[in-house]
This record gives sequence, C-alpha cells and structure tokens, in this order.
Amino acid sequence: MTPPPTNTVAGMIRPVPMPPDSQTNRDLLAVMKGTSPGYWFLLGLALFFMHLAGGIWIWQVYKGLGIAGYAHPVFWGVYVVTFVFWVGIAHAGTLISAILFLFRAKWRNAINRGAEAMTVFAVLTAAQFLGIHVGRIWKSYFILPYPNQRGLWVNFKSPLLWDTFAISTYATISILFLYVGLIPDIAIARDRATGWKKVLYTVLALGWVGNSSQWKAHNRSVLHLSGLATPLVLSVHSVVSWDFAMALVPGWHTTIFAPYFVAGAIFSGFAMVLTLMIPVRRIFGLEAYITDYHFENMSRFILLTSIICGYAYAAEYFMSWYSGVEAEQTAFWLRAFGPYWISTWVMIIFNTVLPQLLWFKKLRVNVPFLFVLSVCINIGMWFERYVIIVGALSREYNPAVWGEFIPSWPEMGILAGSFGFFCTFFLIFLKLFPIVAIAEMKEIAIHEKAHGAQGSH
Amino acid sequence: MARLVGIFELPAQVVAAVKQLQARGYTDIETYAPAPFPEVDDAVDPKPSKVRLMTLIGGLVGVVTGYAMTIWMANNWQIMIGGKPFTSIPPYTIIAFELTILFGGLMTVLGLFIFGGLPKFKIDPAYNSRFSAEDFGVVVRCREQDVAEIDALLREHDATEVNLVES
Repeated sequence: MTPPPTNTVAGMIRPVPMPPDSQTNRDLLAVMKGTSPGYWFLLGLALFFMHLAGGIWIWQVYKGLGIAGYAHPVFWGVYVVTFVFWVGIAHAGTLISAILFLFRAKWRNAINRGAEAMTVFAVLTAAQFLGIHVGRIWKSYFILPYPNQRGLWVNFKSPLLWDTFAISTYATISILFLYVGLIPDIAIARDRATGWKKVLYTVLALGWVGNSSQWKAHNRSVLHLSGLATPLVLSVHSVVSWDFAMALVPGWHTTIFAPYFVAGAIFSGFAMVLTLMIPVRRIFGLEAYITDYHFENMSRFILLTSIICGYAYAAEYFMSWYSGVEAEQTAFWLRAFGPYWISTWVMIIFNTVLPQLLWFKKLRVNVPFLFVLSVCINIGMWFERYVIIVGALSREYNPAVWGEFIPSWPEMGILAGSFGFFCTFFLIFLKLFPIVAIAEMKEIAIHEKAHGAQGSH
Repeated sequence: MARLVGIFELPAQVVAAVKQLQARGYTDIETYAPAPFPEVDDAVDPKPSKVRLMTLIGGLVGVVTGYAMTIWMANNWQIMIGGKPFTSIPPYTIIAFELTILFGGLMTVLGLFIFGGLPKFKIDPAYNSRFSAEDFGVVVRCREQDVAEIDALLREHDATEVNLVES
C-alpha cells in the first residue's frame, strides 16, 4: 500500500505507531545497545594482553622454544597446562546446551547462550596452544592426515592424532551449535536493527522468519546436535586425558584419567560460567532472566563435580599406595611434599575443600560468595593440570634425570594473553549477539501466558 | 487468489485455527511463531522432519570414512609402531567416532538449511516483525469469495487482527 499524499487529511493523521515490542525483546536486546567507557577499557586491556602474547609468540617462533624455558626433562610446561585448562573450560557450554536439553532441564535456557559462546571462545583459545606449543609452527600441518614427500602418513595410534580429531570436531560442533541456536535470535535483532548492524544480521539470519517448516527443521536439528554433542563432550576430555594416560610416566599411566578429567572439565567449566555470568547479570541488570535459582542449580553441579574430583584425587593416592609400585608411590609423595607442594595444596583446597561450603543453601544463593569461589576454582583447576603435567614430568623413574621446572615469563605472558584472547571475543560477542537466548526465554513466557489464560496449573 | 494473515497470542489458538481451516479444506496454510512450539508445526504438517535422515547419512558416512581412512593410510605405507598390528581397531575407533559426530553434525545443519528453506533471499510480505516479538501468525491462501469466511473463522479462534496481504 502506498502512503497517501501529505496534503490530504489522511496524510495529516500521524501513522499508526508500531505495536510495542515484547518485554523480553526490549530487555535482552538492550544488552547490545551502546558501550560504556568501562567496556572500552576492558576491551582495550584484553586486546593489550592478546597483542603482548602475539609479540612473545613471534619472538618465540624466531628464537625457539628455549625462551619458554623448555629443557630436559620438562618439555610440556605452561603451554600444555593452559591448553588443557581451556579445553576443560570449554566443556560447560555443550554440557548445559546438549545434556541439559536432552534432560529437558528448562533452567538451562537463561544461561545456555552465554555458556555456548564461552565454549566456542575457550576451544578457540585452546586451539591456539597447539600451535604455540609445537614451536616449529610451520610444521604443524604434520598432524593432519596428509602424506609427506615419501608417502608416509600420520600415526593414528598416537593420542596426539586423536586429540587433533577430537578438538577440531569439538570446535566445529560447538560453533554449529552456537550458530544454529543464534539464528532465530539474530532474526529478532534484524527486525529491530538499523544501519550496518541491519546488514550484518540480515546476512547472518539467512532469511529466518520462524515459519512452521523452519521451526520443525530447527527443533529436529537442535535435538540431533544435542544427541551428537553429548557423547562428544564426554569424549573430548577423555581423549585429552589419554595424551597423558597413554604415556608410561608415573602419575599419568592410570585408567581413572578419562572420567577424572571429564568431571574436572565440567567442574571448571561451570565455575567459568559463573565467573562470566555473575558480572554480566549485574552490569546489564538481567536479574529477571538469570535468577538466583539458576546460580543455585549451577552451584549444585559444582558441588557434585567437586566431590567427583575429590574422589578421583583420593583414588589416585590410594591406587599408588596399594599398587606397591615404588615409582608411583614416590610420584604421589612428591606431589604433596615435593617441590610442587604449593600447587598441589592449592589444587586440593580450592577444588575439593572450598566447594564443600556449597552444602549450605545460604551460600549457594550468595552471589558475591559464588563469584569469589568460582575464581578460586578456576585457579585451582589450572594448578591441577600444572601438578599433573609438570609434577609428573620432572620426577620420572630415574632420579638422575630429575629436574626442576619454573614457569618462565614468556610462558606467563602467553598465559595472560590467552585470557586476553578469550575476553576480547567474549566482549565483542556481548555487544553483537544476545547473551541470553531470546526465543527460548519467550517459549517459557508464552507457556506461562497460556497457562494463565486457561486459569489452570 | 487472496491471502489473509491472522494474528494470535497463544499457540493453542493457532493449533485450533489451523485444524479448523484444514477441516474446511483450506490446505495452503503457513504459520509463524516467535519461539519453538512443536504443536504448531505439527498442526501444519504432522510428518517428522527429514533432518533425521540427514543426520543418519552423515553419521554412517563418518564412521565408514573414519575406519576406511585410518586402515587404508596405515597399510598404504606400513610402519611397525610399538609392535601393534597395522590395522588396530581400538585406536581407529576413536577417529571413527569423532568423524561420526563431525559428519553427522555437519549433515544435520545442512538438513536444517535444506528442509528449513535457508537461506531465504526473499522474505514473504506476510511476515511481520511482530512474529519476532511475541505474536503468532496464520497465513491462508484462498479464493477471493472465501475471504469473509476465513476472516470470520480466524476471529472466532481469538485472532487479535486479520489482515489482507498481497499474494
């Protein structure tokens, strides 16, 4: 319909205003609007550390891994520790999205988007370390199934190859999962955006309109991606644990490693979700969507996985004592009372003792306490990997080849840079895409409206 | 031919309206929903989505690729590693598993694109940004003489508005 000419009576009447947008849309799209000086400060800080790490890395490519202090007997240092740390962090997103989706745990709806985004950025951060750690970056394509000039193929019996496949599959699936979930929300933003953002969302929404065939295919895809991602999330950290468990190193060569690592990964991932979502909720005033109930449920998960981790720590010590193998017994004695005793006790206290406070309901709903606890758990989980990797390598079978490892400043710079890399992406995501899944929140809102209208439930 | 779009607030009203329209013989119906409501999608077309077939194909291709690639590559240039057989199934199962998930996931998303009609380059004029707020839409294509009947039917099912759109 063409508008009437402005000189007629109809033209003088103001056009009918658009019906007000839904409350959910307004609240959740408001997160993406405008940027404060604090936001730019955080983004600048993150970019600074990311570029610092980039500089150190270029220097390392030029000089070699020696600058990171890698020397006999410890050739897996902070880079591998940090790689395992970030892969672990990446587990919460898929767990919340896929496993809780299959269990129909509706409380996941408020936090799943944030957790999925965190997963994608954490797995991308972890993937950086595969390149940083190999030293000769120009030869890193050797891990791909590609023959060299003599027609020699990769060794599929090596856990490092399994890792390549597991991590690249996990990165791909978590990106697909995030994007598929985002499509309806991008369409919501598209209908309300202007300028360059409108162009961006129009392209990314792929012409989503939410008709029955699209939703039908979408529901089915999310269900199947969840079904595929559930065994995947359990397999990825198992494969990472086999990088260690397959090696004949005292303290590594145990069958408990796969479940132990998976529980630890979920534990640290949930802690990271809390570390990120508590400030996000506070800054953007999302208390109506991410409630204390969500945080309490996550605390329960943290408590459960903390107990599993504590059990695994205890089982490791018991098995080394019960096995009667001197090398194993020494390895575990030195963990607790050797040169790395601080790391070990940080890990035990932060990961198994402090989370026991969550037995108290008062503390489970105490948000500042949860934030501090989640940061402690992140620190504790980094030290767990440090103890396992460095502690074991520096104390192998023959005391004549024992050595000490002290993290070097280039390693610590790249560790800081990994947080910068992660935070840069997370901060940009926060301003470009909805951090709470809008369509899924509406599903709940409309269900509530329907039940209210019928006067039942 | 004309097209009518009825605007609804609740999924149950949409389901009832669609069922009634189908019973009267109007089958060219499209619904728009702001959030996933399987009952609405099933009212339009009760058949399960064909995406499941895509996942199955992807998964099967993945598992076959995983085993075939590892076994062939290990035997293409045989090197004895740790005294293990060239064709050792347990480690290759890990690769096959990962490729099952990878191919299954990629094919699932391809299925979403194919069966969901994505990407859609031209958005139907019946689409309204209210459908990305909290309203539902039912679009019916009919002959001009049936407009009054459908209009009445949609309003009977608590449509808040019924509009004509260009077809």
